Amino acid sequence: MTDDLGLMTLDRRLVMPVPDGDPLGVTQPSVYCGPAGGIAFCHMLTRALGVLPLVGALGWWLSDAPGGLPERTVELTLTAAPARLTLKPGTVSDVFAYNGQVPGPTLELREGDRVVVHFRNQLPEPSTIHWHGLHIPATADGAPFHPVAPGAQHDYVFTIPRGSAGTYWYHPHPHHRTGHQVAKGLYGVIIVRADDDPLPRSLTEQLIVLSDNRFLGDGSIDLTDPLTPPGRIDAENGREGDVLFVNGAVMPTLSIRAGEVQRWRIVNASAARMYRLSLRGHGLVHVGNDGGLFERPVDVNEILLTVGERVEVLVRGTGSPGDRTVLEALPYDRYIPQTRPTDWQSPRELLALQYSNEPRMNAPAIPATLRPIPPIDTTAVTARRLMVLTQHLINGKAMDMDRVDVRGPLGATEIWEIENLVGMDHPFHLHGFQFQVLDRNGVPEPFRSWKDVVNVRRHETARFIVRYDDFPGRWMFHCHILDHEDHGMMGVLEITR
Amino acid sequence: MRSWIASAPCSAALVVALALTASETLGAQPGNRVTEQQLLRGRQAVLEHACNGCHGGADPSFDGWLAGMKTPEQEFLVGPCLFTPGAQPCFRTRPRNLTPDNATGLGRFTERQIFNALRFGLRPGETPDVEITSSEPGKGNFPANPKYLAPPMPWPAWRYMSDQQIWDIAAYLKYAVKPVANRVADSDGPPDFWASEYTAAKIGRYPAPSFPTANEKRP
Repeated sequence: MTDDLGLMTLDRRLVMPVPDGDPLGVTQPSVYCGPAGGIAFCHMLTRALGVLPLVGALGWWLSDAPGGLPERTVELTLTAAPARLTLKPGTVSDVFAYNGQVPGPTLELREGDRVVVHFRNQLPEPSTIHWHGLHIPATADGAPFHPVAPGAQHDYVFTIPRGSAGTYWYHPHPHHRTGHQVAKGLYGVIIVRADDDPLPRSLTEQLIVLSDNRFLGDGSIDLTDPLTPPGRIDAENGREGDVLFVNGAVMPTLSIRAGEVQRWRIVNASAARMYRLSLRGHGLVHVGNDGGLFERPVDVNEILLTVGERVEVLVRGTGSPGDRTVLEALPYDRYIPQTRPTDWQSPRELLALQYSNEPRMNAPAIPATLRPIPPIDTTAVTARRLMVLTQHLINGKAMDMDRVDVRGPLGATEIWEIENLVGMDHPFHLHGFQFQVLDRNGVPEPFRSWKDVVNVRRHETARFIVRYDDFPGRWMFHCHILDHEDHGMMGVLEITR
Repeated sequence: MRSWIASAPCSAALVVALALTASETLGAQPGNRVTEQQLLRGRQAVLEHACNGCHGGADPSFDGWLAGMKTPEQEFLVGPCLFTPGAQPCFRTRPRNLTPDNATGLGRFTERQIFNALRFGLRPGETPDVEITSSEPGKGNFPANPKYLAPPMPWPAWRYMSDQQIWDIAAYLKYAVKPVANRVADSDGPPDFWASEYTAAKIGRYPAPSFPTANEKRP
């Protein structure tokens, strides 16, 4: 069945084997919508993604699991390969792309899904795919320990845990080359849905993937050598671009109806840029972070979305029919004086939100409570870890692939204290586990959420609690400013049996 | 004496390597015993080098001994603005807190990071805690992109202190000074962290060229 947008939809009982060969041809991206929503779901996503070329999971097998919706296997192929695409309007660039598109296909998954990703590396260099934020086995994490050679293929196999519904993303993670490959175009989003999502299903959903890039006059992506003056600045600040993209487009327009409430998932896939997000003339209802929804909605005026982080917000269409407003990034000073950009105080417009001329509709009710987030038991803590952050270093050391920096036993609960000694923010990311931030400089977090990145502001100490409830093996932790990570601001946690 | 100098045309790198190896047995690095004698030697070196002249305290009994800048008058101006008000570039640099306070001083840095700061001018927070055996960027653990302490910190002269003296100072700062919480704002500086100012052509070499150079003579 093909709907009017040319997108294929599948009946929930359809069993679809994966054909041999590349099932997601780079010239024919397709959308397959899952059992959760059928056609309506497809429409929603298409609208949500705006200009973003979208490819969902390719196929799945259904089995009649007792009770509830069936378990399914989602199988897809992601091919990373060089391509020539237009990123910056009016120019053509040599890029790296997943399945021929930047950003890569958006993966639509559900809690409980078994996922099989056939990764084909057709790049001229080793790569991996890291499933940022997903709680999956260490061997499937796409860490730099498991590079996939040029021309080789690797299958990532994992199951999406229950309770993990949220917005995640994927990107390469080869040692020293993450920033390079992401800058060349390799990043994409994962949406994990829950069967029991507390927000009304009628809400229109918008996916907003933020990234930035920089180009030379001939359209090529401006990647610097760290031994040159501009490269030094990139190495210090992390590479920021002057062209800001939303879903791969510059300043796209999204639409809303007066009175409507929309659900926005916002992903910061930038190498270093932090976005102090504000929707002009509107408040935002903050409902979720990296690891999914909060316990209850929180009204805010702005949200600081640092590198690698995701948020879910509800946007209330409080304007009038025909109005237009702008989502913008307000100035945020994360820099040290030596390399602070001269234009850092200029706000940047990201996207336009256009009200339709339809009359105001009645806003749907937003639930006062969303889901429980039980606090991790602090009395079970068996170790406290101190991570001292300075520029490019953790505890005075640069990353060593042969060194384990922290060892903890499976099942342990630990508190990590991240102390930032320097005058620049460092967004600290732990692979594989969602944690709960306890406090910053001793001030308790205002509310509980699941996080996999905590931005530790200049001269700040943040503490989080984490439980190694599963998945022994070696895990990375690092500053998610990609240039910092690539220059060694990373360490290894080994969870032992 | 003469015969020792005459027999010392070995490579500069080798001299550094030998010196650092020797120092491992003398210094107060973690695992080594810090003696009161060493701390007193470090204190003496701090007094002789007038660290407090910028970093605070008239002598060790005064408030703010080595605790860093407390008032704006202690800032330095670096650049042409020193002579022509308003001229650019104009950098304000600030003497930092040298007490072993964890959050605002040297508490989180190892003695080796302090050693590397005094010997090579490398910012302790931004240079790995490793033994450096070369003065050439990218070699012997010397950072490819070195970041230097802001002027007027006179490390280009003080790097010629003996290894022993530098380890003594590091030990004194780490173990014999009481921590004082005093956050000093970051210094301004050029994006290259003064690398273009601290080339061998401008500040000379370490180790110094063998005696006698063309400008020197034996008596």
